[in-house]
Amino acid sequence: MNRFLSKDFLAGLMFLGFGGVAYVAAFTDLSRFFGQSRLALGTAVRMGPGYVPQMLAFIMMALGAIIALRAAVASGEPIESGKWKPIVMITLGVVAFGVLLDPANVPAIVSWVVSGVPRWENPVSGLLPALVAMVFLAALGGDEFKLTETIAMCAVLFIICYVIFKWGLSMNIAMLQGVW
Amino acid sequence: MDVLNNLITGFSVALTLQNLLYCFIGCMVGTLIGVLPGIGPVATIAMLLPLTFKLPPEAALIMLAGIYYGAQYGGSTTAILVNLPGEASSVVTALDGYKMAQKGRAGAALSISAIGSFFAGTVGTLLIVMFAKPLTEMAQKFGPAEYCSLMALGLVAAIVLASGSVIKAIAMVFLGLMIGLIGTDVNTGAQRFTFNIPELSDGIDFAPIAMGLFGIAEIIANLEKRITRDVGETKITSLWPTREEFRQSWPAALRGTALGSVLGVLPGGGPTLGAFSAYTLEKKLSKTPQQFGQGAPAGVAAPEAANNAAAQTSFIPMLTLGIPSNAVMALMVGAMIIQGIQPGPEVMTKKPELFWGMIASMWVGNLMLVIINLPLIGIWVKLLTVPYRFLYPSILLFCCIGAYSLQNSTFHVLMVAIFGVLGYVFLKLGCEGAPFLLGLVLGPQMEEYFRRAMLLSRGDPTVFVTRPLSAGLLAVTAVLLILMALPAMQRKRQEAFQEEG
Repeated sequence: MNRFLSKDFLAGLMFLGFGGVAYVAAFTDLSRFFGQSRLALGTAVRMGPGYVPQMLAFIMMALGAIIALRAAVASGEPIESGKWKPIVMITLGVVAFGVLLDPANVPAIVSWVVSGVPRWENPVSGLLPALVAMVFLAALGGDEFKLTETIAMCAVLFIICYVIFKWGLSMNIAMLQGVW
Repeated sequence: MDVLNNLITGFSVALTLQNLLYCFIGCMVGTLIGVLPGIGPVATIAMLLPLTFKLPPEAALIMLAGIYYGAQYGGSTTAILVNLPGEASSVVTALDGYKMAQKGRAGAALSISAIGSFFAGTVGTLLIVMFAKPLTEMAQKFGPAEYCSLMALGLVAAIVLASGSVIKAIAMVFLGLMIGLIGTDVNTGAQRFTFNIPELSDGIDFAPIAMGLFGIAEIIANLEKRITRDVGETKITSLWPTREEFRQSWPAALRGTALGSVLGVLPGGGPTLGAFSAYTLEKKLSKTPQQFGQGAPAGVAAPEAANNAAAQTSFIPMLTLGIPSNAVMALMVGAMIIQGIQPGPEVMTKKPELFWGMIASMWVGNLMLVIINLPLIGIWVKLLTVPYRFLYPSILLFCCIGAYSLQNSTFHVLMVAIFGVLGYVFLKLGCEGAPFLLGLVLGPQMEEYFRRAMLLSRGDPTVFVTRPLSAGLLAVTAVLLILMALPAMQRKRQEAFQEEG
């Protein structure tokens, strides 16, 4: 069992997966499920948009298969277990920043989940809420979280950002939607 | 005389007040991230790339280049003083540099490193000046077939010289090439792998990808490891090396410069490989190899000279052929494209002030680093005492804002998150990010050249082997690949990287 949890075996599967998805998405009847029209291959003289992608997809699948097979035959380095907290919290932090920066994002997400919601603008958006959400989520991803320290960090980073991006580079970015 | 004229053009650009300022900013930011472990030049350049939109192209590239070689300086300062190499390229410097510092020779070690680096930087700059013209002229004879083969050679060489599994690196290149295809096909207008997402029809910007792979993934990995840093106190008494130390270091610096220059030009080479190889070479050549690791001045001079020389000469293939030799150069190519400059042999003839200005600025920047850094050492070391829990939210924030400001679109911020997760998976599976980034940047161009070559040859794939230049390039590529497959070579390669690590 252990050999199937080796770095190489899983890496092989990953490449196989990428190649496979690319192939299925662009060159089979299933392509419409991917929001993608089938790519024409063309000829070697006049290559269509699909010629090179198909080549790459085949090579990817082949390489992935070779890597996985080699790893399955000879047991390789086992994969190290990770911690869930950093990866989840950091990713959430970045996503939260992106979502909160634009007043249209939260309503868009809500309308995906609940259909028929009237159009509205999220008033709690802009750099300030995005920054605070991100810094807090990121800080919670570490091992030592201190509330006062994190609040102070938010304040300092916000001032730095304001000076550099709004004041220095006069970037078109709202601090707090509709207010500042 | 031609060279002299070109240098005059270059310096007249590099010495304008504005460009001096951006060179200075670049060098300072570079030194800063060089000092701080956990953030490297790739993530920083990706982060700052959007901010260079509004700058004139010369200023933008001068600043980004400054970050790159500034990081080499910064990395060695902390390696010597507190045994914490800020960059991979100064890991070997810590071996002997820190030992020297413990013996009370910290000042001497810093000077040796600074002078060696400056000397190497000067030589590296001169080499660029000398090789730029002939290489560019050669490249102008290239047709699409040659370009395609040259890129193949570049990608393969980058893999061979990188550490880790070869076949996984090859797969990473192909994955990069494939992700590079996302977007609208230039020839037919067909949407490729855009999955009905309108933002993807322009292709994925490589800056958020680089931020995710090299910035976010790195942060996550660091949080798992929990960096602990004990910063010891090192007193700097005298900056002057003794005559004996000087006698031991100058030949080492010379050899380091030579080796670093050669390795820097090779794709995948770059500063880290240069520094490791130079250290190994010195140890082999030395009459007293037992001194290495105990504070040998030659063990500081050689890798420091080599990493700086390599940082300079790695610009050669990028500037003359438009082919990046490492991840940082891939980003520089991207920076040029953003500025509307197609990297390649035409840059020198069409934009001489940019080309020579950038080269001259590298020398100016190196000089600045020597002058500015020695008095600032105290501040840099202080910075190291800032705990990582304050650093990573800041890095994260600047990545996010940088990604957003690319096109004022939060879509790019989400891209950073996605590629951060992907980068973490790559790290866990032992797949390297650098080959991926090279493939990503070269992918669209390579496809374009491939299609054009095949069109010109009326669909005959033998065009790649019947044109002599292209055949030669492909032959070298094949030899490299075969060498890698030989079991004896594989063992040798493993040993070489073992020695490094």
